[in-house]
Amino acid sequence: MADKPSTDDILAKLRKEAQGGGGGDETPASAQPAAETRAPAPPAGETPTSTNDIMAALRAQGGKAASEPSPAPAARTGETPKSTNDIMAALRAQSGKGASPAAESKPAAPKKAGAPASLPDGEKPSVEEMLKGLRGEAKAADTAPAKPAKPTMPPLPTKPPVASKKKEPETRRNFLIALVATPFALAWTAFTASAGAFTLGLARFMMPNVLVEPPSTFKVGPPSDYPPGTVSTKWKAQFAVWLVHAEYEGKSLIYALSTVCTHLGCTPNWLEGEQKFKCPCHGSGFYINGINFEGPAPRPLERHAIRVAPDGMLEVDKSRKFQQELGQWEDGNSKVEVV
Amino acid sequence: MDPHPDLTSGVVFGLGWFYLILFAMNACWVVRSYKQDGEMHLFGIEVPKASFWALYAALLGMVSIAHFTGSSQPDAFLIRMPEIFKDYADLTIGNSKLGPVLFFAGSIVGFVLMIVLREILVVPTVGWVLLNGSLLLLGLSMTDYDFRQIVAKPDNVPIVAMLFIVGYTTWLYFARAVDNDRRVKEGRPLYEEEHQEKILVWPDLVYSELVCMLVITAVLVAWGIALDAPLEEPANAAKTPNPSKAPWYFLGLQEMLVYYDPWLAGVVFPSVILGGLMAIPYIDYNKKGNGYYCFEDRWFAVSTFLFGFLPLWVAMIILGTFLRGPNWNIFGFYEYWDVHKLEVLNNVNLSEYFWLTLMGGAMPKVDPSAGAATQAVQILVREWLGIVLTLGYLVVLPPVMAATVCRRMFHRMGFLRFMVFSNLMLLMLALPIKMVLRWAFNLKYIVAVPEWFFNI
Repeated sequence: MADKPSTDDILAKLRKEAQGGGGGDETPASAQPAAETRAPAPPAGETPTSTNDIMAALRAQGGKAASEPSPAPAARTGETPKSTNDIMAALRAQSGKGASPAAESKPAAPKKAGAPASLPDGEKPSVEEMLKGLRGEAKAADTAPAKPAKPTMPPLPTKPPVASKKKEPETRRNFLIALVATPFALAWTAFTASAGAFTLGLARFMMPNVLVEPPSTFKVGPPSDYPPGTVSTKWKAQFAVWLVHAEYEGKSLIYALSTVCTHLGCTPNWLEGEQKFKCPCHGSGFYINGINFEGPAPRPLERHAIRVAPDGMLEVDKSRKFQQELGQWEDGNSKVEVV
Repeated sequence: MDPHPDLTSGVVFGLGWFYLILFAMNACWVVRSYKQDGEMHLFGIEVPKASFWALYAALLGMVSIAHFTGSSQPDAFLIRMPEIFKDYADLTIGNSKLGPVLFFAGSIVGFVLMIVLREILVVPTVGWVLLNGSLLLLGLSMTDYDFRQIVAKPDNVPIVAMLFIVGYTTWLYFARAVDNDRRVKEGRPLYEEEHQEKILVWPDLVYSELVCMLVITAVLVAWGIALDAPLEEPANAAKTPNPSKAPWYFLGLQEMLVYYDPWLAGVVFPSVILGGLMAIPYIDYNKKGNGYYCFEDRWFAVSTFLFGFLPLWVAMIILGTFLRGPNWNIFGFYEYWDVHKLEVLNNVNLSEYFWLTLMGGAMPKVDPSAGAATQAVQILVREWLGIVLTLGYLVVLPPVMAATVCRRMFHRMGFLRFMVFSNLMLLMLALPIKMVLRWAFNLKYIVAVPEWFFNI
């Protein structure tokens, strides 16, 4: 490993250092199981590792405090510490004592420049500082040919000889068989196939057999139903159109306005008193001819195709729309002129 | 009988409870003040400052009793918001031209004052006076029918609670930050160092979290029982509720949509907000302020964030909740939500201002039947001013900033970081700029290309 030490390495090294006082000759690999056999009280001078160990050590310490000259307030009273405060106090005192040699042995650990302020004396060095120190050491060690900082790892179990397979001639057939035949590949193949089938099944819903929609072409009655200067909201709920009979560019026209606001698609209301369409969502306003004048709507309401059917009725075709800003209102299909 | 009574016996009785709680709070405050505030000279004698609070608390107690005893005759009850105040507030805030300007300017002024006067704001007595003032205003306003209709709506109750919580957390931040700023100035250790708040995860932290969980569950259950869910009629594509309001936390976005095209206010700006918040750690080069409250060490970062949060987000929620009524018109706090309120808001595009008003001619025509390239040229001719202004704002302004006001920042950040930073700042400021332009000049869009669904 030429670059940064991994977290595992750092942890192993930390553990090794922590064991330094009691069993310095032990390798970390063998020290770890020893710590896991949860001794009632770890030997003095050893930095406790797990919370359980800490609690156990503290209780034990509290009991035999008379024999141990510990500066911890809880230990001094000779009682078993009960409250969290006692435990914390004891911990601070102990860890300050236990960890300080480790911190001193690392001169490379720099104090953070932007840190709020230097930590009080006797405080445990933060994990960050420990890591920094270690990284610094590891970097320094990299320059030397021998790497003393690297912990000795237990030998890994030897890999089964997979490589021998490669000696067989690699053919296309072998590859295909391997792709399908191994259980792992088989599972993924099955999963992909079923997921694909499911997706196709979902896509089928995009093309329903029956569409319950109003027809796009419908008749709205004779032109005489729509007197000049009126907006009919009769067809708003069913077909989402207003039938308007108004003057536009000097001509008396009947046209079908879409009830979809050109800003964000809400349904505006026709306000008879103000003679305008007003959207309740963002306040867009449109004149009776559909031209936008208030609020954020960027363009006029859209028209749908309208014509006088052979039987004299007005017929609206919603499948075609006409936009004013594209000049489509000039189209004869967008309006019916009433003379 | 009045169908919209300002006062009913239920309201008077409820307000009695409101003032009783206020009385109890202030009684506790009297004790605190007696212990901590000391005394002052008045007419040659030493008077404890707590006595003023005691007087105030006694007054509140009497007001509470008056509400309880007077609840049988609500029409004759005297403690109510003066009509003059209500009319004045509705004429100013409820005015479609003046209202939003006043509201937005007020929120900006309040924001600046909060930062400039933070040393005074964090005095506990000042905070208490502000809290009492806002609660009294709320209590008095509840005597108005239209105010009550909006504030007491089950939708809006949590928003009112949120306003007080935002106020408290902001105050708490400034209190801790000002304290630490003083400590740094005097060379004392920071509050966070002096009061180590480290505890064990098990059992201390886990138990506290358990208690919090239980309390919140209890509050939610009580809330769910007390306030009915505000359900409406079944959805109908042909009928949009009037006013149609987004969930309260999106009202800032909805307000943004009033000023910008949907693709900007609904897609680009929300993405920029999210991306920009994520980019803050990479833009920020200030190493100070890590792990402790402070203002002076990070005044720029804190002010920028608070500007984006308080006037541009929370104030927009208030505007959207309490001031926007039917047809998305502006209504005063005490105004009846009239669907037919008349507003004259003829909005005009910048290109129309330029060609029709300034040049006095006709708008250049865009031929819809022409090819895309021809149309593009025609649109460029029509909208050149807006396009130049927008490009100038987003492309020319950052280098100018780097060379002038943000010189040091540019050197610390480097080219790429500074460009990202300046564009994020400019995009954030684009909202208030557009709002002001809309209110002041009825400007609809700076660049308006409805042919291509592109408007800025």
